[in-house]
Amino acid sequence: MGGLIAAVSIENLSFSYNENVVLHQLNAEIEPFCLTVILGKNGCGKSTLLKLIAGLLPYRQGEISFSGSKLKKLNLSARAKKIGFLGQKHKAVFPFTVGQVVLTGRSGYVRIVPKKQDILIAGHALEKVNISHLKNRYYTELSGGEQQLVMIARLLAQEPEILLLDEPTTHLDFCNQINLLSLLKTLTKNRLTVVAVLHDPNMAFLYGDDFIFMKNGKLLKPEHPAKPWDEEFLQSVFDHELHSIPYSERALIVPKKIER
Amino acid sequence: MRKKKLFYFILYALPLLVLPASLLIGPSESASFSKILEYLGYLTNPDKTGYSIDFSTLQTILFEVRLPRILLAFLVGGALSVSGAGLQAIFRNPLVSPYILGLSSGAAFGAALSLAWAFLPVQLSAFLFGLLAVAISYAVALNRKNLSIVSLILSGIIVTGIFSALLTIVQFLTDPFKLQSIIHWTMGNLHNTGWQSLQSSYIPILSGVFILFLMRWRLNVLALGDEEAQTSGINPVRGKLIVLVAATLATSAAVAVAGIIGLYGLIVPHFVRMLAGPDNRQAMTLNFVLGGTFLLIIDDFSRTIAGFEIPIGVITMLIGAPIFLYLMKKSNIGWED
Repeated sequence: MGGLIAAVSIENLSFSYNENVVLHQLNAEIEPFCLTVILGKNGCGKSTLLKLIAGLLPYRQGEISFSGSKLKKLNLSARAKKIGFLGQKHKAVFPFTVGQVVLTGRSGYVRIVPKKQDILIAGHALEKVNISHLKNRYYTELSGGEQQLVMIARLLAQEPEILLLDEPTTHLDFCNQINLLSLLKTLTKNRLTVVAVLHDPNMAFLYGDDFIFMKNGKLLKPEHPAKPWDEEFLQSVFDHELHSIPYSERALIVPKKIER
Repeated sequence: MRKKKLFYFILYALPLLVLPASLLIGPSESASFSKILEYLGYLTNPDKTGYSIDFSTLQTILFEVRLPRILLAFLVGGALSVSGAGLQAIFRNPLVSPYILGLSSGAAFGAALSLAWAFLPVQLSAFLFGLLAVAISYAVALNRKNLSIVSLILSGIIVTGIFSALLTIVQFLTDPFKLQSIIHWTMGNLHNTGWQSLQSSYIPILSGVFILFLMRWRLNVLALGDEEAQTSGINPVRGKLIVLVAATLATSAAVAVAGIIGLYGLIVPHFVRMLAGPDNRQAMTLNFVLGGTFLLIIDDFSRTIAGFEIPIGVITMLIGAPIFLYLMKKSNIGWED
């Protein structure tokens, strides 16, 4: 990936909720057109970092910039054209159809109401995620996996350069997790940058191109950045006894002690 | 597809039917149906010499009494429904009404104050105190840059309580004759309507409705949630504020001239969603058209069904309450943000 400008660069970023320091002087670069996975224990600041990059939280110290332009300098619709964000939970109240939900991704481009062009792009977004057949179904009546795909189609309709996904696989069954991660990989091959917070290091190592490890609001750097599945390193990240079993040039991670 | 188009056509054509029909309805003997037919014959006949009847009473009833009332009923119904739909979208809750922020009790207090001591015209006072109540609820709920729905609703409840208490004090201090008119006002009615009521209310009502109409697409985005709106390019706090102000403007003006018409702004948006789905691009227009038409029909009943006028707010409340309870049971929707 050398030679390309980082899609996102984070410099000296600190953040605190009231008095609690959540992030402490982070420095990171996110490679373009890669699937970058953020890993760490609950409460280590992963979601906060993602929300900061998405511009959902105001920060005072440090800087976040996208291929040169500073986040703070971008207005909302300019941001929407750069970054798409999918939060952990989404609860729909009104029975909008899938087509209507995906169309709302075009907000950054729409003045009063969406034009034909916007409707067309929303339709393409459905195709990219292979859910055109759901277009007229009610979003509220879909399964969790389908809803997640709809929200991703919505992000694609937004046409951002970077997708930020906070635990996109959490509510999905095993096969849907695999499908979603393969989809994300395909998207990176179509020149999208994807950053995802994942809980499962196995899924992360199977599909990720690059990894960010967090602990107590700080970044942890692995000794061998190209092979972060080092046992000792992961144990320090997760504070847990772990085995790293080599698999397909990468590794599977299992607990050392298994109670039976 | 064609069936759907026909369906919408009928819905939009409804007011064109109901508006003129309502002109013909009323309790007055001197404006009975046959009299009106006679009058129409007189109007269309180029030779006016053969007529000996004096139509001036009829004209007064039709154009000074019924017409302004019909137009006002339509505007008020449309305003309450459009405002209700807008607020339901931004609050992400289908059981929200335009009165949620204490507007009705503020307006009732304002009207009572003016009826008791006449320091301001009743409508103006109701309008101002309605706005004041919403402003207080909003100011209390606003916390830095966040606009939490739960705190808005809670502060709305408190503000409603305060103004109801103040209203009770006014009622307690005033004489029985004025008390009667205060109570009548709070029941919601249109029977004192003249052109003056229409004149004083149409500008705020139509501007509020127009702003909400411009927001119709953004309402869809806001209805998805704050994070979703903000990350796709719409400022949720500003969007909600615009909707809140527009809905308050239209509703306060409506309440000021028509009193409290309970539950109407909650039920009609529901009904429209059942007919046309939640997409506000269609729903906003339909809310105005159907909201206006239904209130007009209800008002037609209220002025003809009994020997006396049943306050329109009483009818909407009696019809609306069971519907509301049914929806609440069925939809199973909480109050989370």
